[in-house]
Amino acid sequence: MASLWSKISPVLPANEDQFPLKFSDKVELSVVEMLQRSRKQLYGDITSSSRLLNAQIILDISWEKLNTGTWRHVDKEWRRVYSYGCLFKVAALCCESPSEDKILEAVRTCDMGLIMGAAIMGDILQVIVRILQSHIRTLSSTKEEDESEHAEVKRIKIESPLVSAIKEESAVLRIKCPSLESFKTNFLLPLKPVILEGIIDHWPAFNKHPWSIEYLRSVAGCRTVPVEVGSRYTDEDWSQTLLTVNEFIDRYVLNKDGVKALGYLAQHQLFDQIPELKDDIRLPDYCCLGEGDEEDITVNAWFGPGGTVSPLHQDPQQNFLAQVVGSKYIRLYSPEDTGKLYPHQSQLLHNTSQVQVENPDAERFPEFAKAPYLECVLQPGDVLFIPVRHWHYVRSLELSFSVSFWWS
Amino acid sequence: ELLGVQMRWFGFGFNAFGQICVQEKSGRGESSSAPHQVKISHPAELSSHVDRSRCCLKTSQIRVSWSRRASLHLEGEALVMCMLISYLARQTLIMMYEITESQYYFLFIFIDVNLPLVPGGYIALKPPFYCTLPGHLKARSLALGAEHAVLLTATGAVYSWGLGSHGQLGHGVLTSEEEPRVVEALWGMPMTHVATGGWHSACISDGGDLYVWGWNESGQLGLPSRELCCDTSTPPDEKLKEEEEHEDVFISIQAFPALLDVSSSCEIRAVSCGSRHTAAVTTTGDLYTWGWGEYGQLGHQTVTSSDEPQRVEFFRAEQMRVLDVVCGTWNTFAAVVKEEVACAENSTKCTC
Repeated sequence: MASLWSKISPVLPANEDQFPLKFSDKVELSVVEMLQRSRKQLYGDITSSSRLLNAQIILDISWEKLNTGTWRHVDKEWRRVYSYGCLFKVAALCCESPSEDKILEAVRTCDMGLIMGAAIMGDILQVIVRILQSHIRTLSSTKEEDESEHAEVKRIKIESPLVSAIKEESAVLRIKCPSLESFKTNFLLPLKPVILEGIIDHWPAFNKHPWSIEYLRSVAGCRTVPVEVGSRYTDEDWSQTLLTVNEFIDRYVLNKDGVKALGYLAQHQLFDQIPELKDDIRLPDYCCLGEGDEEDITVNAWFGPGGTVSPLHQDPQQNFLAQVVGSKYIRLYSPEDTGKLYPHQSQLLHNTSQVQVENPDAERFPEFAKAPYLECVLQPGDVLFIPVRHWHYVRSLELSFSVSFWWS
Repeated sequence: ELLGVQMRWFGFGFNAFGQICVQEKSGRGESSSAPHQVKISHPAELSSHVDRSRCCLKTSQIRVSWSRRASLHLEGEALVMCMLISYLARQTLIMMYEITESQYYFLFIFIDVNLPLVPGGYIALKPPFYCTLPGHLKARSLALGAEHAVLLTATGAVYSWGLGSHGQLGHGVLTSEEEPRVVEALWGMPMTHVATGGWHSACISDGGDLYVWGWNESGQLGLPSRELCCDTSTPPDEKLKEEEEHEDVFISIQAFPALLDVSSSCEIRAVSCGSRHTAAVTTTGDLYTWGWGEYGQLGHQTVTSSDEPQRVEFFRAEQMRVLDVVCGTWNTFAAVVKEEVACAENSTKCTC
C-alpha cells in the first residue's frame, strides 16, 4: 500500500520556488520569515519534530491575531497565515509514516484551517483532508458497531417528547410541488409561510445515500465541527466547542458517557467542509426567484438529538428549512406582531425574543399570549418556507437533521 | 531604577529569532541563518550585555516585541539585538514595535518623554500613530494591549478604553469604550503601575497589592482556568465529573478587577504582561510568573502553563535578587543583582 506521504506530496508544489508565500503588509516581516523557514523545511531533510515546532509558532501567532478585534474585522491575510500554519503542521505530521492517531490529528488540523482560516493554494487543505480520509478508510474497518447503533437510535426515537395536536386554524399550509409562479404569487410576495411537500424527494440524501448515523460516521466521523452546548443560546451557561462528528454523536446523540447537557451541531456550513454531503443535497429551484447569486446562498446544517431548541428569533433573509431526518416542532410569528414578542434590547440579541415560547412568563410578557401564530411539525421530506424577518421557534422532537438555505 | 548598580538581565521563553541567546556554534553575527533554540525554559543570561573587556554593561532598560529585543545601556551606544538600526542615546528607551509599512522596525528613543505618552496624547501601535488624550486626565503612564489601553493618572486613578470583549477594560461588561473611562472598582485606591497583556490588564496599588482583570484562558490572571484543569488527555467521563465538581470555580473572563494573592504577605513592586502570561516582582526580590507557558516563558524549566503564581526558583537558587521584569509577547526578562550587592546598596537605593 502506498505511503500516506506519497499521496500528499504530489498535491504540494514541486519545489520551494513554486511555493507561493505572498502577503499584504498587514503581516509582519518576522512572521513571513517564519513561514519561509517552514517552506524551506518542507523541501529539506528536516525532522518531523523540528517542522512541528515551526508550524506551531505560525499557528500560535496567527491564532493571537485571529482573536484580536472582532471576527468580522480580522484581516483575511491572518486567516491565510493560519491556514499555512495548518498546512505545514499537516505536512510535518504526515511525513514520517504516521500512526493512525497522527493522521487523525492531521485531519483535525485541516478542519481547523478550513473553519478558522481562509483558502490557500487552490483550497489545498480541502484536497489534503480528502486524501487523509480515504487513507483512513483503507486502514480501518468499522462494521461491528453498526447493528448496536441502529438499535440505539430506534430506542431514542420511541422516547421522544410528544407535542400536542396541531390545531387546524393555526396550522401552516401544506402544498405539493407548486409551480414557481404560484409559489411567488401566493407565498413569496405576500411573505406567507408554507410547507412545500415533494420538492426534495429526489435528493440523494433520501435515495442513493440515505442519511443515518452510520452514513454520517463514514463520510465525516473524524471531521471536526463546532457544537453548541447548553439548552438555548440565550442561557448563561451556553457555550461552543469543537468536536469530531464521532465525538458529537457518541456524547450528545447516543449519550455514551452519561452527559446531561444538550449538544447541537447548529448553523454550520458543513457542506462546504464535507463535499460528499454537499453532493447529497440540491439547491431548491425556488431560490432562483431571489435577486442574489447562487454563491450568496448560505447553506447550513442542523444536526442534533431530540430536545434541541432554537429560541424565537428572526433572520434578515428568506429561508427554506428542509427536513431530512427526524421531526421538528416549529412556531411562526409575523413581524407585524413584533411588539408582543419582547425582543432583547442588546445589540447582540436584538433579533431574539426574551420569551420562552413553550413556557412563557405571563407576568413579564403579558402581551405574548395575544400574538397570533402558525405552527407545524416538520417531517422528513418537508421544506418550510420562512419569509424574511418572520419570527420562528424550533424544537427537535427526536434525532433530527435539517438543512437551511438563506437566500435573498 | 537603581543607578550605578550592575544589573544583569536574564531571559526565558520564545527565542526563535535569537532574542534571548544565539547558538554558540553559529559564530557569525547573522542570526537569521542559524537555527536558534526556539524555547528557552531555563533562565539564560543575556550574553550580549558583556563588553570587550568582559565587564557587564550597565543595562538600564529592555523592550521586547514578538521577534525582537532592544536593550539600552547607560553611557554609550544603544545596543540592539538583531536590529537594523542602531542609535546613540543616553536616555530612556521606551517602546518597540513591529510595523510593517516600512522595512525597518520602529525604535522610539526620546529624551525625558514617558512613551507611549507624548504631549497631548500618545503613540499608538497602528495607524493613526498619534492619538489625542483629554487634557484633564493628567496622564502619568500608559500601557497598550493588543486591542485596549490602560492609563494611570497623576492621582493614581486608572482609566481604560478600546475593545472589551474579553473583559480587559475592567468595567464589568464586555462592551467596548471609545473614550477613556475610569475603572470604578479601583476608585479611591491609588495605583502606582499599570500593565497590559494581549487581552488582560494588571495594576499595583501604592500598598503593593496586585489587581488583575481580562481574559484567563491560559491562567494569565492567576485564577482557576477551565482549559488548564481539564485538558484533552483526560477521558471524557472523568473530565466531565471534574468539571461538574468545579462548576462554579472556573473563570474564563474576569470583567472586574480582582485582587490577586501572588504570595501571602509580600508586596509587589513591578508587574509586566506578555500576550497571555504575567510576571510580577516582589519587594523581597522574588519573581513570580503565571499564565501561558508553552514557550518556557514562565521560567520554571517546563513548557506547561499555570493558573497559579509560582516563584521562579532559579534566581533564589543563584542568590539573585530580582529588581525588575519586562515581558515580550512570549518571553520574560528579569533584571537581577547578586544578593550581597543588593544589601550593600540598600542605604543608597533610589526608589522610583
